[in-house]
This record gives sequence, structure tokens and C-alpha cells, in this order.
Amino acid sequence: MYWNKKSNVEAPETADIVARLDWRNPAVISNYRNRKITNNLIKLFSLVSVLLVLYPVFDILYMFAYKGVLLLSIQTFTETTLAGGLSNAILGTIIIIGLSAGIAIPLGVFGGIYMAEFSDRSKYASVVRFVSDVLAGLPSIVVGYFGFLALVLYFNWGFSPMAAGITLSILMLPYIIRTTELSLRKVPSTIREAAIALGSSKSQMVNRLTLRFAMPGILTGILISVGIALSETAPLLYTAGFSNYQPCGLCFHSQTAYLTGIIYTFYTTPTAEFQNMAYLAAFLLILTVLLINVFARSLLRRFSKL
Amino acid sequence: MGARPEAIREEQKDLEFETRNNSQAQVGTTFGEAFVHISHLNVYYNDLHVLKDISLDIREKEITVIMGPSGCGKSTLIRVLNRMNDGIPGFRFSGKVIMDGIDIYSKAVDPVLLKMRVGMVFQKPNPFPISIYDNVAFGPRIHKLFRNKQELDAIVKESLERAALWDEVKNRLKENAMKLSGGQQQRLCIARALAVKPEVLLLDEPASALDPGSSSKIEELMVDLKKNFTVVLVTHNMQQAARVANNVAFLYKGELVEIGRSAEIFENPKHELTEKYISGRLV
Repeated sequence: MYWNKKSNVEAPETADIVARLDWRNPAVISNYRNRKITNNLIKLFSLVSVLLVLYPVFDILYMFAYKGVLLLSIQTFTETTLAGGLSNAILGTIIIIGLSAGIAIPLGVFGGIYMAEFSDRSKYASVVRFVSDVLAGLPSIVVGYFGFLALVLYFNWGFSPMAAGITLSILMLPYIIRTTELSLRKVPSTIREAAIALGSSKSQMVNRLTLRFAMPGILTGILISVGIALSETAPLLYTAGFSNYQPCGLCFHSQTAYLTGIIYTFYTTPTAEFQNMAYLAAFLLILTVLLINVFARSLLRRFSKL
Repeated sequence: MGARPEAIREEQKDLEFETRNNSQAQVGTTFGEAFVHISHLNVYYNDLHVLKDISLDIREKEITVIMGPSGCGKSTLIRVLNRMNDGIPGFRFSGKVIMDGIDIYSKAVDPVLLKMRVGMVFQKPNPFPISIYDNVAFGPRIHKLFRNKQELDAIVKESLERAALWDEVKNRLKENAMKLSGGQQQRLCIARALAVKPEVLLLDEPASALDPGSSSKIEELMVDLKKNFTVVLVTHNMQQAARVANNVAFLYKGELVEIGRSAEIFENPKHELTEKYISGRLV
């Protein structure tokens, strides 16, 4: 329908053109059919992509669930790795993750609050933000190496839960700061304005209100960070080592076992007994991650009832 | 610049400018009952000159309406009164704003405490997404205006009654405020502002986002409120201004064109711009 000005054919009346370009025109109808086909092809393609991605996930879940359920027993929780159980690794994981969360969560949440509320115009804030982003991008093994050099060797703590906890908290911190800051920034400015007009000072009372609003986001960030910490292996290899005995708590120079380390250590062993422990550890880890997600969702639901 | 604004003087007050020590006297404005005295106020946002040499008085326990076309600086003017402009980058001003004898921009005045004396209600109702009770109690809680739960309950009840909302919500105080209708939410915002017992109430087009029924309820409320509070109202709605105002100030492009009692302004405007605006010929 492109009318060249140089052509000798006269351009038809505008009314004619318009009269042809409606739903009765067969060209329009066939174009619509083509669009429907393209639409459906793309839908199909998207569906296939999703299935391709989900399949390995389900495969993993199935494989470990299958083996895990078969192998799970009371022994897993009562015996140490010397006797075919995982109690020392489970305890070790709990202690290490507990330590790192205990350090990273308060620091991260307050840091995020500072970044969101108090630092709009200071250069200090942009430096902190930049450093935090760099920290988030560091390979976890590098952070582990740093922990090894600084805490295990230089401070002479040896392989210990403290060294592992601090190293992991370095990995968790940027995520918590970032999600806290983002969640707080998402609080609508009308709410803040109303609170300021009522005379609330920035620090105390605006936080009474805005933290409430931002809590779902903050909690999600925390849970994601805990998930990240749970899944780390390399940094723990350098800072917590390995052990077949019950962890000693917050001692120094005491190597600790942890679930990811169990997998690392045992999955290439020739004995079925050890391999089973690796399967079990993997199963427990998957279960924990699933539980964390379920817990996160239920918390979100409770907060959305606001 | 337009003609110097002249306000109608009360019959009882004499011309006492020469005897006043205050050299910021503006010819023609009355001082006797003025609670807020704005003098030669110029406001700039970076290089933008938003308010140009404004001088006017807000009289106590009366409704003063500030009207004018969009962008003339009405909202900026009332935000000057409770220092809400302080946080805006690039804000600077010259001139004086004196409330109850105190310069509110002096270093001695804490902006947080000022907001206890000057409350504000915004154009779009913005209740917090918490319960109705907690909304109204928010102000008293942060300023610790009560000693025990009974006192807080009494404050909440009184504020909701003053805002003409008590009867509608007295049985559901714990419900989330977002479940209320628009008009009810706006009245809740008014109750919330009243709960800290201010002396001045600033209303920035409070009824413009509401349907006519809620709008007229808000108007009745304002007439009722002026018995106890000084009300400054910004509105686009001429009819609303005519219905509720005691004093009217007409702003145009940042300048105060005319100020006076509402009867004078609406029936007998002195300035041609005012007359144009009132008859709807000014955009």
C-alpha cells in the first residue's frame, strides 16, 4: 500500500484506503491468523524452555530424596561421622551458620537502614555502596583464602568455627545491606511525608513505620543470605577444615565438620557407607533450603495481611 | 509586580503602624488577630523564584483560603508554614515567618516541635497501612502525649469525633485504615493531624481527590474546626472557597495579588487579575 509520489498512478482517495483497512479485509484477517500462530509458537517455546530448566531440578530433588529417605534414620542424628551418622556435621553447620548470621544480620540491617535513610547526600554512602557491591562480586574462595590468611594464620585462631563464621558473614553482608536498603527505599514517599508532617524525627519514628513496610523485603534478603551461607563449601574448607568429632563450640584451633564439607570429602570415596553419608548430607541440605523457602513464604503471607 | 494588596481593616482596629517597632509592617494588613505573620517572603528552588515578596497575615481561628491557578506557589506557601520544605534540595528563602511572636526559621525553633503546633493534611489521603486506632495514635505515641492507655483512648476518641468520623468507625478501630473509603480516609488523616493538638491546620486541597458528597462533609468539618483551630486552606475550587472562607488570598505566578475578607474578594475584587480568576477567565 505504499504510494510512490513519482508513480504515474494516481493516489486513491483517502476514504478508499481507510475503507479497505478494517476487519473485513481478508489481508487483515490472514495477518491476524499469522499473528495467532506466531503467538502460539512463542508460548510453546517458552513452555519447553521452562520444562527443560525445571527437569534437572526435579531430577536432583528426586534422586536425593529417594536415596535420602531410604538412608535416613535416627542414627544420622545421633552418631558422628565415625559411626555413619551426621550429628557432628549438623551441629557444626548450625554453629557456623548461627555465628555468621548473628554477625551479618544486625550489621547488614542497620547498615541498610543507614544507607536508605541517612546518607542521601554524603559521599561516604556512595563509597560504602561501591565497596559493598565489590564484596558481593568476590569469588567465595577468595574470601575463604582471606579468612584463612587473616583469621586462621595471622590471628592464630586455627581452623575454628569463629573463623568460618566471620568469613561467611563477609559473604552474607552485601546481600543483606542491599536488600534492606532497597526495601526501605520502596516505602512510598506519601507515608514518609505524612509521618514527617506529624512531627516524627527521621531516625526513631519514621523507622517505626517504614521498617514495618519494608520487613517482607528485609526478611527475604536475610533468608536468601542464609541460603547462600548454607551452600558455601570453599571458604569453609579453608577456615573450618574437617573433623570427625563433635564440634567444640566457639573454641579456637578446633576443626569442625559441616554438611557441604561432608559431601566434598565423601562423595569420591570408594565405600558405599561413606557415599551414603554424602547422599544424606546432600538430602539434608536440600531439605533445609526447601524449609527456608517455605518459611519465607509463610512469613511474607503473614506480612501481606497488613 | 501587581498592585500592593490591601486587606479590609476591622472597624475596631486603628492605624497603628507608626507605633509598632516591627519594621516589617506591610501597609494595609491587620495585625491585631494575626497568628502567623509572613513578611517579604521570597522562596527559591535553586534558581527558580517560586514565591515573590509575599507578605500576609493568617488570622487566628479563621479560615484563610489561598487560591490561584496551578503552579502559582500555593503549596509551597503553606509548606513554608510548617517547614516541610526544609528537606527539599535547592530550597532557600529570604524574609520572615513569625508565628505566635516567634520566627519559625530561627535556630531556636526545632522543626519537629513546630510540626506539633502546625498540622498538615495532604491532597491525596495517605493513612498509614495500620489500624485506624494506630493511625490516630501515631502522633501522640511519638510525642508521648499521654500517660496511660485511658488517656490515649480518650485522645483517639476526641480526634475522631472532631473529624466527624467517630460514629462510623467506633466499632472497628482495629481494622486496617486502608479499608475505609476515600472520604473516610481523608477524615482519618484529619483526625490523625488533630491528635497532636495543633494550633494551626494546613489543608492542601483536601477535598480535590474526593467525590462531591465527601467533599461537602469535609467542608462542614472545616467550618466546625475553625472554632478551635486556625485553618489555612489551599483549594482550586472557587465555590468551596466562597462557602468556607473568612479571608482569601489570591496568588498568581508567585506573587500575592490581593488579600481580603472573602465577601470583598468575591463580590468586589479590587484587582483585575482577581476578577478574571474569579470569573474563570484566568488560566
